[in-house]
Amino acid sequence: MAEVIARGVRFHVQRLAARHRPHLLAQPVVFIHGLGMDNLSSFYYTLANPVAHAGATVILYDLRGHGLSERPRTGYRVSDSVADLAAVLDASAVDGPVHLVGNSYGGTVALSFALTHPQRVASLVLIEAHIPVPGWAEQMAATITGIGADLTEGELGRWMARSRKHANLAALGKDLIHHTTFVPDLRATDPVDDGELQQITQPVHAVYGERSDVIAHAWLLQSVLPRVRLTVLPDVDHSVLTAATPVLRTVVLDWFAAQAMTVPAGLR
Amino acid sequence: MTDDQILAEVRALIIEIIGGEYALGLDIGMDTAFETDLELESIEFVTLATRLGERYGERVDFVGFLAAKDLDEIIGLTVGEVVRHVSSCRTPEGALDG
Repeated sequence: MAEVIARGVRFHVQRLAARHRPHLLAQPVVFIHGLGMDNLSSFYYTLANPVAHAGATVILYDLRGHGLSERPRTGYRVSDSVADLAAVLDASAVDGPVHLVGNSYGGTVALSFALTHPQRVASLVLIEAHIPVPGWAEQMAATITGIGADLTEGELGRWMARSRKHANLAALGKDLIHHTTFVPDLRATDPVDDGELQQITQPVHAVYGERSDVIAHAWLLQSVLPRVRLTVLPDVDHSVLTAATPVLRTVVLDWFAAQAMTVPAGLR
Repeated sequence: MTDDQILAEVRALIIEIIGGEYALGLDIGMDTAFETDLELESIEFVTLATRLGERYGERVDFVGFLAAKDLDEIIGLTVGEVVRHVSSCRTPEGALDG
């Protein structure tokens, strides 16, 4: 297992070498997973290997408190996630720009990273990204608190206790929700406004499910971002990554092929 | 290296990853499914693939192996499919033998 120490925390990082020469992309593609019981495997199973196979160096990592990364008691603000990503890239000897692919909260991190470190971002793929609009933080904190209660004493917990696999995930989720600053840190997220989003000048491909509970965030991105392409997948909810994997693969691989076309051949 | 030898190594790795106490009583063979039989967590499968890559070297191309599979196929993988993939990557001349 590959590990790096970043900001004093041990992170689980997987690096997949680019196949096919010449490489499709000069810059690595970094995948950022979602919150709670998610980890890097959701991208490993779906998009990461196809992207590496197409010719890009791929970096996947588990967010702090998730997967096989360390679970410190504090440091779960979006600004921490952004600083963690910068430090993980530093520790992985990646100092040039990267393409970011974020799912759900991973999209939140990707957007915030692009605002904080614009020179380190070549492009963004935002899958079902949560945008921290006013009120979002409180709503997310309430949702996560509800999941925590359901895991501890509700039907979800009873269902997950039936198998080793789900019991492990549930135990991790409960510890994160009940024994770290995860929820209050989420609640303390500063909202972003349209003016900030307009500063993101990198090309963005936003992908949402038509029946997503955050579909309003798709329309917001489309109206505000200077360079955005929006794909809305019919009959899909927030689970785009797993429910619509084949079409999402095509969307993402086409996107990176198009990004490659914008880079002078000598730099690929 | 025979498939039986690779299976023995894969079995040992699986037991190391899921923990000996869970592995007690599990009969891990070529037909054992990672998801339904072993209840392997997705992140544990990532660890397994990484460890196998370290053990058998770059020629065992898990990126190519997994890139060609859809999500359901990865979730439905058996121990035998992984063993045969390792075996086929390690002995390209074997393909000529049939």
